[in-house]
Amino acid sequence: MRQPLLILVLAALLATSLPSRAEPIVPTRDDEVVDVLPAIKGGRAEERRLRQQLAQQPRDPALAVGVAQRYLAQAHELGDPRFAGMAMAALSGWTDATTMPDEVLLMRATLQQYLHEFDASAASLQQLLGRSSGPARPQAWLTLATVRRVQGRYAESDAAARLVARAGVALHAQACLAENAALRGEVASARTTFKALLADPRHPAATRAWLTTSLAELEQRAGSASAADTAYQAALKLDDDGYTTLAYADFLIEQKRPAQALALLKTQVRSDAVLLRLAIAGTQAGASTAAADAAEMRERIALANERPDAQVFHGREQAMFALAVDRDAKRAWELARGNVVRQREPLDLLVLAQAARAQRDPAAVQEARRVTNDIGLRDQRIEGVL
Amino acid sequence: VNTVLRLLMVFAFAVFAAGAHAHKASDSYLQLDAGDKSLNVRWDIALRDLDAALILDANDDGRLTWAEVKAAWPRIETYAMARLTIAGCPLRLSSTALERRNDGAYAVMFLTSDCALAASPTITYSLLREIDPTHRGIAKIQRAGQPTVLSMLDPAHAATDAAAAAVPQAPTAAGGFVREGVLHILTGYDHVLFLLCLLLPSVMRRTPAGWRPVDTLAQAVWPVIGIVSAFTVAHSITLALAATQVVSLSPAFIEPAIAVTIILAALDNVWPIFPVRRVVVTFCFGLIHGFGFAGVLAELNLPTADFAWALLQFNVGLELGQLLIVVSVTALLFLLRQRSQYRGLVIRGGSMAAMVVGALWLIERTANVAILPM
Repeated sequence: MRQPLLILVLAALLATSLPSRAEPIVPTRDDEVVDVLPAIKGGRAEERRLRQQLAQQPRDPALAVGVAQRYLAQAHELGDPRFAGMAMAALSGWTDATTMPDEVLLMRATLQQYLHEFDASAASLQQLLGRSSGPARPQAWLTLATVRRVQGRYAESDAAARLVARAGVALHAQACLAENAALRGEVASARTTFKALLADPRHPAATRAWLTTSLAELEQRAGSASAADTAYQAALKLDDDGYTTLAYADFLIEQKRPAQALALLKTQVRSDAVLLRLAIAGTQAGASTAAADAAEMRERIALANERPDAQVFHGREQAMFALAVDRDAKRAWELARGNVVRQREPLDLLVLAQAARAQRDPAAVQEARRVTNDIGLRDQRIEGVL
Repeated sequence: VNTVLRLLMVFAFAVFAAGAHAHKASDSYLQLDAGDKSLNVRWDIALRDLDAALILDANDDGRLTWAEVKAAWPRIETYAMARLTIAGCPLRLSSTALERRNDGAYAVMFLTSDCALAASPTITYSLLREIDPTHRGIAKIQRAGQPTVLSMLDPAHAATDAAAAAVPQAPTAAGGFVREGVLHILTGYDHVLFLLCLLLPSVMRRTPAGWRPVDTLAQAVWPVIGIVSAFTVAHSITLALAATQVVSLSPAFIEPAIAVTIILAALDNVWPIFPVRRVVVTFCFGLIHGFGFAGVLAELNLPTADFAWALLQFNVGLELGQLLIVVSVTALLFLLRQRSQYRGLVIRGGSMAAMVVGALWLIERTANVAILPM
């Protein structure tokens, strides 16, 4: 047995034998710190003030959406779902979707999307779009297009994207349609569209970053590794947001360049998504940190799973962990399969395919192929696996 | 020595890592120990959640000191105690503690009551309702000599019937498995195709001169009933055997075998090959299809407690779906039987088509390639 593997196994044993019910705290001094609260952007006092204000005027739409927005940004930044729940609470001045102001309904749909309640999110958006008019409509169509894409419902995503165009937001509509086209395998035309949009110097850096990331993902799915690498690096130079960082890390892991993935992730907040990639890349590289990262991730998964519906939010990550770190193909398959019921992005289908292949079960491979074909997704990586 | 050192390092890392906050949704934990005349409850609530509701961090520095927690403790008790009731069991606080879990520090309250907990207790839980609608209480109910019942308490629902909210729940409410059964046969193209092959000649009878249309509906119905009954009895037997795991066969064998049954049944329509009556053949093939149904059953995660009941429901669903197909197809074929093209087009053409599809399925399922779109 190779040494890193031995260490990994022993660390896993240690981690599982550690009591998950941790020790009692017996403070001895008044100034002893018993818990450290997560940092709040803009300061704790400001947050309190906003919340008190909202408690007094719970039905002020601008205030409610503003507070929810802050919490959602916090949830994104720290990968901490508690903040998404608090964002949802900021909208509790309205209980009935039919009477919610447009911007509140849009915010609710965005939060539902974050919480992976895709059907509920689509329902909120449709409720909003059923109203006669309003400035929230283009964004609502765009969010709906995104939700439908994540669900693997490309035709509905196209339909929503076309209505984004009608609402006069041409750039987003074009990018959205190109993204769907690329997912369906119309790579050349989508690539041309993205490059044409990027050639327009008027777009701000954040927009260019987002378009470049889309291009990188397209190249990655098309199997053009060097083009994907160039695009990812360009995107990160424009805006090193969490999404692109994770996507690039996955790309590096796919390309068997775990050392670079580790270097990229080391500076990030250790959210579940980041820790997962640290564990996978570390395992791939045989890094000294791998065992500790894997043990911590395993512990977080066990903790999250005390809530029986945890796999709704965590299915993809848990499947990736089972496959790449625990090498438990059967469990990975079950998790990946449960996950694609709701979430059908290329990564979800890739994990499903890999789990099916790892299981060496023809029926599973067949099923993975069927789901991919049903959606209409074309992805060289998945086709290579199946 | 090297290995030991590295192990120690790993261990140190693991301990250090456990100190960092994990990012999970907000949960409180309730452990209910029910005796004959007493109930003990241990309730753990994250200080972080309590801070969101009650502002424990008096100086807003993001660090909760023991002094701050101590000062807030009466408010914590009042807040929490007002948000949990268990019907028939008035709770009183007996002691408190602090505990460190992987995702931070928790306030622990030990509650007691001199009551016998109802068989399916009604728990009213509204902790953090105004703070985080995604918060849940995870209750574990323990009774002497019984398995632990896990129950999710949702603050948005005024009262939770712990038995009804128990997890794992049956995936669907009563009748859900009937629906699954119907869906499975209606969308299980291979089973439908097999049934169709058997039904195609049912409005004809075999004479030395080939197929001739029957004269009355009764002449068609009786053979259909015979064939369908044989299929039903056979697949029920193997479904039950497979579901109870008395017999288990690999899908790698069953799936291609189902394709073979289609090819053979279709072939027999065109060119008699079975040395015995069709009812007997149908029975044998039905045994194979039953294993196919069982494969789906495994995916449905039937509740272990009411396993037999759920299995029965699933099978009833299968039969209902099957009946739907049989009745509509037989009626249609009966109306068409006198057409001059029936023999050539429907029986011969239909069977040929079924053979082709069956053969393609066979290739797909043995060579593991995708040819057909479904």
